[in-house]
Amino acid sequence: MLVRAARINDLPALLGLAVEAGSGLTSLPASEERLERRLHTVAASFAGKLPVADADYLFVLENEQGQVVGTSGVVAAAGLREPWYSYRRGLTVTASRELNVYRQQPTLFLTNDLTGASALCSLFLSQPHRHSLYGRLLSRARFIHMAEFAGDFAPRIIAEMRGLSDSQGRSPFWDSLGQHFFRMDFARADFLTGTGNKSFIAEMMPKFPLYACFLSEEARAAMGRVHPDSEPALAMLLEEGLQDQGYIDIFDGGVTLEAQFNQVRSIRESQTLLLAIGTPGENAANWLIHNRGRADCRITAGPARVAAGTLVVAADTAECLRLRAGTPVRAVAVVGAPQDVDPYGSVAR
Amino acid sequence: MLIQRLCTLNDLEQIERLALASPVGITSLPADRERLSAIIEGTEAAMDEGVVFTGDERYFFVLEDVDSGRLVGCSSIISAAGFSQPFHTFRNEMFVHASRELGLHNRIHVLSLCHDLTGHSLLTGFYLDPDWRSLDALRLNACGRLLFAASHPQRFADSIAVEISGISDEEGNSPFWDGVCRHFLDIDYTEVERLGSTLGRSVLAELLPGYPLYVPMLPDSAQEVIGQVRPASQEVYDILMEEGFESENYIDIFDGGPVVQAHTAELTTVRCSQVATVRIGEPLPATGTWLMANERVREFRACLHPLQWAPGAPVVLDPMLAQLLKVTDGDSLRLIGGA
Repeated sequence: MLVRAARINDLPALLGLAVEAGSGLTSLPASEERLERRLHTVAASFAGKLPVADADYLFVLENEQGQVVGTSGVVAAAGLREPWYSYRRGLTVTASRELNVYRQQPTLFLTNDLTGASALCSLFLSQPHRHSLYGRLLSRARFIHMAEFAGDFAPRIIAEMRGLSDSQGRSPFWDSLGQHFFRMDFARADFLTGTGNKSFIAEMMPKFPLYACFLSEEARAAMGRVHPDSEPALAMLLEEGLQDQGYIDIFDGGVTLEAQFNQVRSIRESQTLLLAIGTPGENAANWLIHNRGRADCRITAGPARVAAGTLVVAADTAECLRLRAGTPVRAVAVVGAPQDVDPYGSVAR
Repeated sequence: MLIQRLCTLNDLEQIERLALASPVGITSLPADRERLSAIIEGTEAAMDEGVVFTGDERYFFVLEDVDSGRLVGCSSIISAAGFSQPFHTFRNEMFVHASRELGLHNRIHVLSLCHDLTGHSLLTGFYLDPDWRSLDALRLNACGRLLFAASHPQRFADSIAVEISGISDEEGNSPFWDGVCRHFLDIDYTEVERLGSTLGRSVLAELLPGYPLYVPMLPDSAQEVIGQVRPASQEVYDILMEEGFESENYIDIFDGGPVVQAHTAELTTVRCSQVATVRIGEPLPATGTWLMANERVREFRACLHPLQWAPGAPVVLDPMLAQLLKVTDGDSLRLIGGA
């Protein structure tokens, strides 16, 4: 299994993944024209030809047969070309000693606070591959790549998680809030943002803070929650050190996680080691390993052990990285007990 | 026959009776002897002829049945609402959200807490004994005081406002209060009105939401009563609308009823009333009913009475009516027809 930079000729495979993902993956719409344009941006980003405001990194996961079966991405700096909107969950307190009243009212403030952060996006793994290390590799490959090219990314990392919606794609948060201002259903509004058509948010959304007491009970319950399909991904990002700091998606109320760059575990704990080929041993932990290439980055996961400043891996792992013994690699141990069900196998935006 | 005049301390007992009978929501009529007495004393002080600017004077008018001496109604004008505390209302606003790119266009009704009407004169404290309810009595109670305002413009502000009672149910609950404000101030509506009349409404208003409220997000029960008039107040409301009050802009912060406002000088009774010289004598056969008042302050008297009068001519009153109106030969009388 291998994660590498997405290339123009991955277009048909990515289109297939986008179709499989359906409406849950707004940052990867099933539009050939849009995807092709994005892949050109991605190629220029990996080549270091774009300013940070435009850089957009998309990775693909190849299975052992060389088929593209998953994707993950990160936007280098969100909101530097168009505003990036979030609601901050704040509080309004009304109190009077004289009247013996005290009330806390959750209040949503429309902000651009997360502007400039690197935004994780476009995580999707094809259903048949949601097992073993695929998902963990696919998601964390981004972190190890970011650790290697720290200068290309922002000091803050965010991940907008998919919020609650039912099987018909109806979002209680949207129905109680956005719907009043857009007069369109959630799926369409979500599609429009996914296609990069974001200016309408500023034009149509309420500018003033919103008192949560005027949202429906279902909408209030959806604030800061994630879609059941994204619960495992949420757990893993929390494990990586990302936290809920009170920001939610303006459409579906899903939580946005965030962390300082250096607080993300796979970034902080990654290290450069010399590759050694040998026998990692039966009880060896799984490691993520990055070949330190940029446009030609190759990232894999496999059993390894550290011995005297070297990372001892099996010959097939080195082959996958196309590296010879003695070459420096960036590596970090994979955390999380092996599970039958891959926690990254689900959809996150 | 009913006469409108300013109250005196002798009226205290009867005014207390009216206050007790008045429904919740008439916050300017506390059923509390001490406060009523303070209000009456305030009116007595305001009658001082020397008043030349608008402050928090209150003119408390009563409607007296001259045959029995019984008071059957009352109404007030406060010279400047919010003179000592800001006068809060919700302003109706329309935000237009449009996206050229998407061809979307959406008008959103918003309520913004504001102090716009601070400093306006305020018509308030309207109450009429149900046994005496007639269109004439309503008109005298509502508009007689406007003749006073017309004769003494220096005592009032250039703009004038009225809070009209909004909708509440049989238990005295207000759907607007319960659906909107109670989230911020968890007190019964009836209790709020009581507190408002004792502590002052701004004490409560300052605890209400400061950011604009998007009306489509409010509960339906609250949306439905925004700007709606309590059925019992409908006739008075209609009379005020005929005076030229504007009802679209403001609502009450407690019950969502309309707060109507106008330029004082443009109210029909102020703008169209005329002043004539009184002649005591044998009146000509009446051609219509007129609302009339003398131009005094302490001795202010107003009534509705049939008359024949043409502009430019003196107005001929029989001695009894002249006595009731506290006018004699050569005095001026302000009057307006059309009733």
